[in-house]
Amino acid sequence: MSRFLDLLNHAVFWYYLACNLSYLAMLIIALKTSAAHQRRLQSYRLDWFKASPLAPPITIIAPALNEEKSIRVAVRNLLDLDYPQLEIIVVNDGSLDHTLDEMRDEFRLRPVRAVYIPDAKCAPLRGLYRSELNPSLLVIDKESGGSKADAVNAGLNAATSPYICIVDSDSVLERDALLRIMVPIMSDPKRVVAVGGIIRVLNGSEIEGGHLKHVRLPRKSIEVIQVIEYLRAFLIGREAWGQGNMLTIISGAFGVFRTDLVRAVGGYRSSAIGEDFDLVTRLHRYLLEKGVDYHIPFVPDPMCWTEVPSDLRSLGRQRARWQKGLLDVLWPSRDMLFRPRYGRIGCFALPYLWLFELFAPVIEIAGIVTIALAACLGVLSREFFLQFLLFGYAFATVISIGSVLLEEITYKRYNDWQDVVRLVSYCFLEHFPYRQLHMIWRLQGLWQYLRGDVTWKPLKRKGLASSQAR
Amino acid sequence: MESIFEQLRRLGPAAFLLKAIVAAILADALFLAFILLRRWYRKRYFAKRDARVFELRQNWDKLISGEIPYDTWRSKPFDRRIVETIALDALDAATAEESARLLKFLRKSGLIEKRIYEARKLTGWRRMRALVALGQTRALEGIYALAQGLRDRDLEIRLAALRGLGRTACPEAAQEILAWVGERGLCVPALPLQSALIQCCAERPQLLIPYVQHAKGQLREVLGRVLGEVATPSLSLDLLQFVGDDLDELRAAAARAMSHAERGLAFDVLNELVGDAVWFVRLRAIVSLGELCEPRAIPDLLRGLTDSHRLVRLRAAEAVVKLAVPMVPVFQKVVGTQDRYGLQAYLTAVENAGLREKLEAELQADAGGSSDENERLLKILQSGVLLEEAALAAVSGAEKSTPRS
Repeated sequence: MSRFLDLLNHAVFWYYLACNLSYLAMLIIALKTSAAHQRRLQSYRLDWFKASPLAPPITIIAPALNEEKSIRVAVRNLLDLDYPQLEIIVVNDGSLDHTLDEMRDEFRLRPVRAVYIPDAKCAPLRGLYRSELNPSLLVIDKESGGSKADAVNAGLNAATSPYICIVDSDSVLERDALLRIMVPIMSDPKRVVAVGGIIRVLNGSEIEGGHLKHVRLPRKSIEVIQVIEYLRAFLIGREAWGQGNMLTIISGAFGVFRTDLVRAVGGYRSSAIGEDFDLVTRLHRYLLEKGVDYHIPFVPDPMCWTEVPSDLRSLGRQRARWQKGLLDVLWPSRDMLFRPRYGRIGCFALPYLWLFELFAPVIEIAGIVTIALAACLGVLSREFFLQFLLFGYAFATVISIGSVLLEEITYKRYNDWQDVVRLVSYCFLEHFPYRQLHMIWRLQGLWQYLRGDVTWKPLKRKGLASSQAR
Repeated sequence: MESIFEQLRRLGPAAFLLKAIVAAILADALFLAFILLRRWYRKRYFAKRDARVFELRQNWDKLISGEIPYDTWRSKPFDRRIVETIALDALDAATAEESARLLKFLRKSGLIEKRIYEARKLTGWRRMRALVALGQTRALEGIYALAQGLRDRDLEIRLAALRGLGRTACPEAAQEILAWVGERGLCVPALPLQSALIQCCAERPQLLIPYVQHAKGQLREVLGRVLGEVATPSLSLDLLQFVGDDLDELRAAAARAMSHAERGLAFDVLNELVGDAVWFVRLRAIVSLGELCEPRAIPDLLRGLTDSHRLVRLRAAEAVVKLAVPMVPVFQKVVGTQDRYGLQAYLTAVENAGLREKLEAELQADAGGSSDENERLLKILQSGVLLEEAALAAVSGAEKSTPRS
């Protein structure tokens, strides 16, 4: 028994060390690249791009499902974006509420016949509408396909621009977000095939007329912890992966893709649980198999603000779904692992995701149990066990405060002292019991997937209208 | 086997874990201290700056006219930076008259000379800051210093210099940029180079021709794209040499530039380019044909409607709809192509342009055409499908509904 526990402790220790060292490496890379990006911004002239003949047309695709509360604000936000050539396609994915009626009233929709070629699979269409007030707005009304991927595919079939930008209809884009996210594409249109932008937490902030008026930290602890998680994931994780051209996830809430390539890979996989991750992985596979020299960067300054779950139940569901999505993509991509043909993606990014994302909940929970057991049985010094826990806690806090620091020295969107103090405080508080709960949700996700439970359950949301009122 | 924790323990906690804990706590403390100190410093700095900006703003006219001696603020770096920032921001949004006044002030106060000196002598981020400021002034005397910045080893500094030259938007800056790319090749990302050249070559696009002829690889593509953007009718003959170029980008640029060329010549050239093997060359040619608004282009545009690429079809449809010609004969020809994708693209363009009612009315009122034909066209317009297609669908529907024996 003690020998078995020893072996497990060895494994857990090396796993933990490798995991923390990779976080540290990512933090250092992110600090360096963020500073370089900030310096570069000094000589940018975004206003020039607004009228630039070099800016390629973009089609924004915004799927909407039962969004009657927020759809007016969300579409108005999209229509007000600064970009020279823009087409907006809102896909009403079989909403059971008055989403379509809301849009019909607000934007004076009239039925039209638009080019719709079903290249990508999706549920049948009910109708196509164009706004009389703004002809660049096209609304697709379709039957529910049961997934966001299905709705995006419908938008993809009607898109007429060389680039598509996928956004969530309950998210708010900053006015210049499209100009900023297109900079890498305009710089190198041949190599850059997709770009990911940053997602920030909207809860607590004030919105007026579809635009963010005042950025504030949310009130609830669970939301503040998610703010730290998002900062860590985007400002550290994505920044570092993007730097090495190993970005495997472009958030479904905000990302730009080359339309022809998305069509070439068959659009989104309708049955995918994590459709955003699935698409980027398939794009990598497609381009690597064709031997194309390409780049998928991450840009940290075009911001998209999105509402995050504000109760434990919804958050648990969301995280379980993310974990299911991870397995749903990693399993079909297992043939890419460690094959030189798939370059850095196959040799670094995917193995990292298997080891430190997919197996993390299993290994961490098993680790906690075995170390505690070893400490109780006297196989392990209790003093040492406590020291090890203390080190783990202090190190995890370094990474969290590091992400807050990155936000401070780069974009500094939380201006109030009170907000920063709360943010930093939660860097110390998030490790117990939230982290353990998070692990359990992720474990639940894995279990549900293995049992074949892949149904999508809607999350409870307040909608953009409520942010306005707050 | 000894536990990993015991092995580490034998090293002594002070040797490993304790040190690690101390290091992590120290890192936490340092990060926190940095955040707090930075916030505190910035708060103080901005409060002080705000007060000083207010003070200087009160006397702005006296300050730029020289009534307040320049020495009173020039010798204080804090004040000098504020004055320079206000002047440069004002310059960005100024009228021609106001610009001249501000530029005179920047010259007389020696601020431009100071920036030129810094751009030449300093290194690193200080040089970059000087180059950005110099670019904002758009002063011609800064061009040489900016051109020197193009030769810096640091990419960011080269970019700042390039953007600065772009801001001056004058042929002299274009000459410096072109000489530099001719000498060093493409050593910056394409976008800033294109942007700068588009701004600087707008006045004298012919500057580009010899460089496009002699450049190679990606640089040639970039220069070709710029040429496509800035070409004027006077360049028509020069552009003809690129119509049969091996480089797709350059043929596309020539196609794009032809929309600015003399109508007769452009029409013949575009007629050839709409049949190009590369889709984006065809796309450019179709768009340019559309911009010519030339009824003679209808057969080419109809060919574009049946193109294998969706974007070409859409742009061809938009171009056809934009033509100021009677709609019925055009619609008849669109139907005559028997291409359902082309028909869909055309109908979409008609709807988007809000011309559907007009076409319907023309079809109903068209006395010239046979009534059967008009009725057929009306049905196609209303159903959105070719009648042969509809008949086929009906037949297959009937077959499906017939019980098989």
